[in-house]
Amino acid sequence: MSENILEIKHLSKSFGTHEVLKDIDFNVKAGDVTSIIGSSGSGKSTLLRCINLLETPTSGEILFHGEDVVSGRINQSRYRAKVGMVFQSFNLFYNMSVLENCLIGQHKVLKSEKAEAMDRAIHYLDRVGMTPYINAKPHQLSGGQKQRVAIARALAMQPEVLLFDEPTSALDPEMVGEVLDAMKGMAKAGKTMLVVTHEMAFARDVSTKVVYMADGVIVEEGKPGEVFVNPQNPKTREFLSRFL
Amino acid sequence: MLAQLLADIASIWAKYGSVYLNGIKNTLILAIVATLIGCIIGFICGILQTIPCAPQDGIVKRVILKIIRILVRVYVEVFRGTPMILQAVFIYYGVPYFFGYTFSSIWTVSIVVVSINTGAYMAESVRGGIMSIDIGQTEGAKAIGMTHFQTMLYVILPQTLKNIMPQIGNNYIINVKDTSVMFIIGFSEFFAVHKMVSGAIFKYFPSATMEMAGYLCMTLLASFILRWVEKKLAGAGSYELVNADQLAATAGTYNYPKKGSPFDETSKEFRNER
Ligand SMILES: Nc1ncnc2c1ncn2[C@@H]1O[C@H](COP(=O)(O)OP(=O)(O)O)[C@@H](O)[C@H]1O
Ligand SMILES: [Mg+2]
Repeated sequence: MSENILEIKHLSKSFGTHEVLKDIDFNVKAGDVTSIIGSSGSGKSTLLRCINLLETPTSGEILFHGEDVVSGRINQSRYRAKVGMVFQSFNLFYNMSVLENCLIGQHKVLKSEKAEAMDRAIHYLDRVGMTPYINAKPHQLSGGQKQRVAIARALAMQPEVLLFDEPTSALDPEMVGEVLDAMKGMAKAGKTMLVVTHEMAFARDVSTKVVYMADGVIVEEGKPGEVFVNPQNPKTREFLSRFL
Repeated sequence: MLAQLLADIASIWAKYGSVYLNGIKNTLILAIVATLIGCIIGFICGILQTIPCAPQDGIVKRVILKIIRILVRVYVEVFRGTPMILQAVFIYYGVPYFFGYTFSSIWTVSIVVVSINTGAYMAESVRGGIMSIDIGQTEGAKAIGMTHFQTMLYVILPQTLKNIMPQIGNNYIINVKDTSVMFIIGFSEFFAVHKMVSGAIFKYFPSATMEMAGYLCMTLLASFILRWVEKKLAGAGSYELVNADQLAATAGTYNYPKKGSPFDETSKEFRNER
């Protein structure tokens, strides 16, 4: 068994008195493509945001290669660079072109050489089919194109894990396919991914592991074959029945 | 009547033209320099006020941030809430009174007063500008590992600057006009020239007409330049598609990812997928 990249231990998060995540435990191994499913408000986004330290967990540990990232001993910037995130709302930098979006992090965070950064940006933009648009500004692109650039931007940082928070939920139906295709390609190429999604076909066919969350707890997790075909928990069964 | 007015203006211009021009020059220099310095002050205040303060930060950092916020608040309220003409007098006489330092040049004190006054207005504009930028921009920057400082410098402030350009222009135009109160401490800007000349030759109306025209020229020119700058900042309206051949020159020098690294992947599969 390969080593865990991420270990989440007893993770809890409250907003005021509202306990959104309750004692979450789970691991991410190299090469895992984990789909997190569950109804709206169950805490999926909060979990990803905690992992990326956009939210500070109320208690519990997040271990990155065995080192706790919450306690703050590890450099937060460097950790974030290794754990990429793709947002539902893209969050491309509006003041930069497509190419600059994919370069800025490499220049300023990784301190990569100019030529190297350029090459890498173009390499990943090519993979998502966005090289023709390198001079465009984000507001000149369609939603699907923006999301593909956002994926290239995250990949250009060469993260060890990539988090996706409903990457296709803000897209028009005809654009969902192009983004899912890019993600499938990454999964095939062996990237470690953690994907919050409502695209059940993606969860079932592409991921190596499925996690079902409800009310801030992990109700069930397992191989997609197990969870989709033979769910153990009645809650999971009820949730899945809505998609069949 | 009109002929008389034109004749009067011509005679004033013949004798005092260079004095009026010098007044215009002084007004413009003061307004431009003070607006620029005011913007810098405003940006510094805006940046200081929006430094985030997380619950896990140490008590020292939180206390310092709190003090900074209070100081900026007081500065803004005091200098936005009092007339600039009074601020000029207050500083001009106050500094020697308390610190025993006399301003060597009327320019120094004038620039200081107008800059501080502009800074108070700009501080609020910049703070509002920063806060109006979508939180997603900050999160996107953090997610790729940028620090707060880098996020501000490369992502937030460029967008803020573009958004508050109209307010900067507004402040500049206000400064062109309102520097006229600096006559109170003896700064010879454009309006002071009018007081001096018309007082000497008793031709108040022709001189006032010249002043009106002069100020209008200065502000219209400013509006015009601002529109142009705003257009420049907005960037090109369209973009050019780039084809693979053009990129071949820049790409291909390096290979990603390195074989055997944790990022190793087989690009062929990726391409088949698309
Ligand atoms: N910043 C916040 N402040 C207060 N409550 C929040 C905040 N973010 C999320 N929540 C609450 O946490 C719960 C889980 O939200 P979220 O993680 O976004 O769910 P999901 O992504 O599964 O739809 C929701 O009830 C939501 O209202
Ligand atoms: Mg969500």
